[in-house]
Amino acid sequence: MNLNDEVMWVEKYRPRTLNDIVDLNHIVESLQAFLKNPHSMPHLLLSGIPGTGKTTVALCIARELFGDKWKSFTLELNASDERGINTVRDRIKDFSRYSRTGFGDAPYSLIILDESDQMTGAAQTALRRIMETSSRTSRFILICNYSSKIIEPIQSRCAIFRFSKLDKNAMIEHLKKIAEKEGVQLLEEAAVRIVEYSEGDLRHAINALQTAAAYQTGVIDEQTVLQVFGEASPRQVQLMLNKALSGNFIEARKMMYDLIGQYGFSGSEIVRQMQRELLKVPHLTDSEKAELTDIIGKYDYRLTQGANSDIQLSALLAQFSKFRT
Amino acid sequence: MANDLLWVEKYRPKKMSDVVGNELAKTAFINWLQNKRRRKKAVLLYGPAGVGKTALVNAASNQFNFTIIEMNASDTRTEKAINKVGKPATSFVALDRFSTETKGNILFLDEVDGVFGQQDRGGIKAIIKIINESLIPVVMAANDPELKKLRPLKKVCQLIRFQPLRIPLIITMLRRICVTENIEAEFEALEHIAQNSRGDMRSAINDLQSISEGKRFLRLQDTMFLSFRNKDIGMYETLKGVFSAESVGEAAIVLNRSSVDYDDFLLSISDNLPLRYLDSADLAHAYDLVSRADVFRGRVGTENWHLLRYFFNLLAEAATISPRSFKPFDFISPPMRIMKLFWTKSKRMKLENVCAKIALKCHVSRSTAKTDIVPFVKIILAKQKSSPIISWLKLEPDEVEYLMKMNKF
Repeated sequence: MNLNDEVMWVEKYRPRTLNDIVDLNHIVESLQAFLKNPHSMPHLLLSGIPGTGKTTVALCIARELFGDKWKSFTLELNASDERGINTVRDRIKDFSRYSRTGFGDAPYSLIILDESDQMTGAAQTALRRIMETSSRTSRFILICNYSSKIIEPIQSRCAIFRFSKLDKNAMIEHLKKIAEKEGVQLLEEAAVRIVEYSEGDLRHAINALQTAAAYQTGVIDEQTVLQVFGEASPRQVQLMLNKALSGNFIEARKMMYDLIGQYGFSGSEIVRQMQRELLKVPHLTDSEKAELTDIIGKYDYRLTQGANSDIQLSALLAQFSKFRT
Repeated sequence: MANDLLWVEKYRPKKMSDVVGNELAKTAFINWLQNKRRRKKAVLLYGPAGVGKTALVNAASNQFNFTIIEMNASDTRTEKAINKVGKPATSFVALDRFSTETKGNILFLDEVDGVFGQQDRGGIKAIIKIINESLIPVVMAANDPELKKLRPLKKVCQLIRFQPLRIPLIITMLRRICVTENIEAEFEALEHIAQNSRGDMRSAINDLQSISEGKRFLRLQDTMFLSFRNKDIGMYETLKGVFSAESVGEAAIVLNRSSVDYDDFLLSISDNLPLRYLDSADLAHAYDLVSRADVFRGRVGTENWHLLRYFFNLLAEAATISPRSFKPFDFISPPMRIMKLFWTKSKRMKLENVCAKIALKCHVSRSTAKTDIVPFVKIILAKQKSSPIISWLKLEPDEVEYLMKMNKF
């Protein structure tokens, strides 16, 4: 695929080869060793926080294995969208079973399962069997945020790579390089701000950079960056938090229903965003934030146990409404 | 001892003339029985419970001296089982007639509307077959003749309709029983029982027996709790009962009796808490209990039903945190969630479609697309109306418009 086809910068500047990857030397080195003799490559489990290059590494491996025709040898699935056991039984099983070695010199087919920690336990168990029986014809790359959510038998069948937060300076350098190629001037303090707000998530940082460039001032300064983050931040969630913290439960709950109804957010998505935004609320002390985080955690856990997400969210908001009084 | 008898058994009609009410149906049934050249071999008696369908058949058997071969809902009625009882009974009429003094047999299938489902597979088909081959009369009784499965039966039967009994008839009967049982009853009490039965003689007699147990006098106030017992408790009554209860136990009783689906009242109780508890500490406490109830609901799933009692108890506690602060309010119902999701479906679908397109292009899940990428795309589109992103993501014009106008989340 031609580089110029891509429009979103996250895709346009996504590394195409393992050599292009920023700041992951130790992981890249061992992977390259595997790729010298593709048959020696085991199943892989890539784990780490968002935006640290897990998907990129997986796609690079696909390209290095199969060249330009990588798409016909690779099944890319996002487990958070298709997490049930039926996906595993139907699509993955079918794809893994048939050897594609007849076409070109691909050693096996590749299955990339993104966000695989979202898979149900039943689906993981089914997957385990498939990984075993199909190892002659295919390899799996499982990508997840938390490797602890992957069942033991699968972990033991994989080589595990942990991705840590990207280095700040490396991220700043990367952003500057992109800005240069796009012909925008990125001021130092603006770059620092973006990296700070993105908390080690390079995807987030690049998206923010592109959005700042869309303001078309030619120069990206700190002001523009702050504006971008102000506008892109989940306003509705902030408002809901503030309403709840000021004791206005009924309004806060109404906003919660807007988030569920109009945008289709799930309970855990809302909780995750509340957690993110809570840290940015200016008028709370650190110990108050810690206490509130504890409450969020409690209801996030109940969310996984209970039957109705809006009840858990309502209960969480009720605790917040009580907090100040 | 006669005292131990259920009154409904003790006072079961012996003769046709003892059966009260439904005179038209009675006449039609007697005519059908006595007419040797009847056009249809079978008859279906239908009408609400407790109006005398079974009683009429039994009384007729006493009076006309024929034997009843009966099957009712307590027997399994697969095709095989029906044939086993039905076939011999209906084919050997002649033999029977000579060997006994009866005027013959009739086959009585009670509660035929109970014949459906997996267990009674093929039942209806077998019944029709028996009616067609039978040499003796077949009598059937059912509550609801409109049931789809019974439709084929209607073609081969004469239908006789029974109606709810009129209240005065029931009162008269209750009075007669009271006299025999040596009970002095207030007229209003009997009237209340009769009204409450909605024309169902059996339940009226049962009610009379249960509340006059061991009493010599029966007063109106003795019958007051009946209005609770027989009625289905709907959503409104459930909420009213739960929130105005004075103790956890009382609220739990209401919840247990309620006929509302408990997922519905879990949501409804949650919706109504803010109206009930104006104090924010009470509200937070109540929501915490409801949240724990919901956790139990999750654990109950579809099998661990014994956990439901904790679910009920926690909900009852949530509703009765401070009984003294209760003031009547207008309930929210049906649950807000259902209404919200109904009205906003089309908007949500549009956003989901956009997210699916982003997910495909950017190698992320739809959920990450929504939280991490949509906010940026929205700003870029607002700044550059004809951004190449639109064609890259293959967004339709209405999706672009939706993104631009969308409130921030």
